[in-house]
Amino acid sequence: MRRKQLLSLFMLVVGVALLVAAMAVGGASSATKKPGSAEALKGGTLKLNENSEDFDYVDPGLAYRTDDWSMLYTVNLMLVNFPEKAGAAGSQLYPEAATSFPTVSKDGKTYTFHLRPGLKFSNGQPVTAAAYQRAWERNLSPKMGSPLGVNDQFQNVIVGADAFLNGKAQHISGISAKGLTLTFHLTKPNPTFVSYLSMQWFGAIPPSTPYTTHGLNTFASAGPYYIASRTPGRSTVLKRNPYYKGSRPANPDEIVFTPNVDVDQSLLQVKSGQSDLDIGGIPPTAAATLGTPNAAGSQFKVGPTSCINYMAMNTAKAPFNNVSLRKAVNWAIDRPAQLRLLGKYAGKRSDQILVPGIPGYKPFNIYAISGADVAKAKSVGGSAIASAPSVNVIHTNTASSTNRAQVVEFNLKQAGFKVTDNPVPGTTYYQNIQTKGTSYDLAMNGGWCADYFDPFDYINVLFDGRTIQQTNNVDWSFFNNAKFDKDMDAAASKSGAARAAAYGKLDQELMADYAPVVPYFISNDRFYVSKRVKNWIYSSYFGEPYYNALSVG
Amino acid sequence: MTQFLIRRIFWAIFLFFVATIITYLIFWVIPADPAKLAAGRGATMQDVARVRHFLHLDEPIWEQYGRFVWNLIRHGSLGRSFVNRQSVDYTIGQDAPVTASLVFGAAVFWLSLSIPIGILSALRPRSVLDRVSMTFVLIGISAHPVWIGLILSYFVGYRLHLTPISGYCNFFPGTAGAQCEGPVQWAYHMILPWITFMVLFTALYVRLVRANVMETMSEDYVRTARAKGASQSRVMVQHVLRNSMLPVVTILGMDLGLALGGAIFTEGIFNLPGLGHEIINAYNNDDLPVITGVIVFSTICVITFNLIVDIAYGFLDPRIRPS
Repeated sequence: MRRKQLLSLFMLVVGVALLVAAMAVGGASSATKKPGSAEALKGGTLKLNENSEDFDYVDPGLAYRTDDWSMLYTVNLMLVNFPEKAGAAGSQLYPEAATSFPTVSKDGKTYTFHLRPGLKFSNGQPVTAAAYQRAWERNLSPKMGSPLGVNDQFQNVIVGADAFLNGKAQHISGISAKGLTLTFHLTKPNPTFVSYLSMQWFGAIPPSTPYTTHGLNTFASAGPYYIASRTPGRSTVLKRNPYYKGSRPANPDEIVFTPNVDVDQSLLQVKSGQSDLDIGGIPPTAAATLGTPNAAGSQFKVGPTSCINYMAMNTAKAPFNNVSLRKAVNWAIDRPAQLRLLGKYAGKRSDQILVPGIPGYKPFNIYAISGADVAKAKSVGGSAIASAPSVNVIHTNTASSTNRAQVVEFNLKQAGFKVTDNPVPGTTYYQNIQTKGTSYDLAMNGGWCADYFDPFDYINVLFDGRTIQQTNNVDWSFFNNAKFDKDMDAAASKSGAARAAAYGKLDQELMADYAPVVPYFISNDRFYVSKRVKNWIYSSYFGEPYYNALSVG
Repeated sequence: MTQFLIRRIFWAIFLFFVATIITYLIFWVIPADPAKLAAGRGATMQDVARVRHFLHLDEPIWEQYGRFVWNLIRHGSLGRSFVNRQSVDYTIGQDAPVTASLVFGAAVFWLSLSIPIGILSALRPRSVLDRVSMTFVLIGISAHPVWIGLILSYFVGYRLHLTPISGYCNFFPGTAGAQCEGPVQWAYHMILPWITFMVLFTALYVRLVRANVMETMSEDYVRTARAKGASQSRVMVQHVLRNSMLPVVTILGMDLGLALGGAIFTEGIFNLPGLGHEIINAYNNDDLPVITGVIVFSTICVITFNLIVDIAYGFLDPRIRPS
């Protein structure tokens, strides 16, 4: 019995002692964590949160999401890359590891790159052409089980890649790596090829890097940083590559990512200086309380992404197999109201597919950009509106999505449409809208961000009717028009200014003549940074700042 | 005792199969396709089929379940995540100590508070202390942990700078990439989670202890002990507390077992990379291996703690000793 009393007493003492000790330490620790005032460019640890998520993979052969890629950009050395510059300048490719852009054979099928001498990985190993050959092979190897390069049909782009993918060859025969010379033999001319190489799958990787279905958590890299350690779900730590001699900035000594943070708590951490930035952004409701974004000295930063948000109309069935009704919907939707529901500074209204920075983008306003034009919608739709079957509006059942759907349904009713509300869980939403023969008429939650800065990635990828398959379609409107397919092929075969002009016209033609979707805004990313963060340069491509350029020293 | 243990172990195995089969069946019924998620946007039918084969999702459900059981028994492996292909064993091995830190740490606090308060309330019913503690009980039971956590982290962490707002440090130093570690930093980061997690349990246990003590004090054997001239402390310790603590032990065993399966709200608010956090992420991504892994772990915890309670019961109360 005495033992029991002693145990109770012991527990009480331990509890109180822990509480007191921890509080005492807390005071000391918080004092050391006060943000510094020095503005030195280099040094320090950049502490980044990522709300609600972690990188799924950091292995370049398996990583695909934008958060993965924005981190990999910091560690990768690409043949061609985007510079750490804001705005349109940040979307202009430059030769990074290559001495210049490739020489292209007369038939347009052979691309030859020469690498700069003296480049090194973070383990001191030299970077040779074989590093890029390995990157391609890791992306397409059956031993990696990566679906990603395959999704983009890269096995059909380079000679011998298909045989390699199917395990019939040890190497991709169309890639030749000799010393610092790298040659790609393409199956057919492809003006988009150099843009492909800017994707983070194709950064230099030591030729001895193993194939692994599980993905690597650390590996030697040749960019300004390397991944020093990673514990999935806990942290990812980047350190400066001691062998990097290039011109890209490498300001913090160390970059630490802490994932899965609650979004509200994360903002508090940044405000108090316990963290520097949440790469997942801020709570939408906080945007109105954080002051004027991007003003001098402001910690509130807003930047446009490459993401166009749109509602897709199912053109494969009534009512939206009728182009007049699709145009009527484009007039009926209240774009500003949609944006308001996403919080302040959520984005910029739009009624076109291409976004600023993509070659060929030319702003135009065909439809009601400043609010619903009900009269125009009624006149464009005419009597077909009244006789049309009820519009099945499908949306995810989150609060935000439901709110926005209610506004859309109100807009449609105003124009005279009959409407059926169809909320579904997020897990089944995409299966619903991506399956051929689906019953939805208007899908609320749609959008597309650039994989690479080329209009092909928007126009052809989203609206080529010949790619429609049974399930897993990205052409959510099931738009299939032979004339438009032909126009897309013609634009894709062009290069340079002619290509940009052709895609600019296609963007306009798509919305003016066919209107298969209702583009409504280009989303912004909203961030709040700690007081010590300097040198903010934002990338529209990643929808993130360049982490290596940020300064906390 | 041996017979009792064997019977319990068989029950444990039976429960394990029931829990995992139900998990598989639920996953089979819900209209989700992890192969499509893993294949990425724009994947062709062939690509999705390739991924489905890679993840063994093209096999019948009973075969998938058989593979899971075989891997667990033969290789001690819970498989690999569909989402990031990490080993589930590794993930649970990483997460379980975090959840255990939260649960056991909070349990120390809630028992340290609830037992004395419950006893004092029972000894002086309707006194000021009793009324204050019953008010606390009402608040503790009514207030959601998310609300408590957010309020605490805002005022204590953000406004007063007394504790970190969120985050976790390992108890044992030497973890690669750790930004903070060691027992003191660990405790410093756990203060608010412990308080958040313990409020509800403290309230429940205060009420439980108070009710049990009051009930036991009215028992005949307590009256007899007093009549025989036993001192107040002897009566309380020997007769009242020993008997009134039996239900507390039972409930504690069940609560600890369940809580180890994932303290979802508290872990979410304070960014503790524990099992609750893990299972929410896995649920959002249709990650069956991780969901199953956490459920297996949780089932084992519940079974183990119930077994411990059953054994402890026998020692505490000779009347129900299994033999």
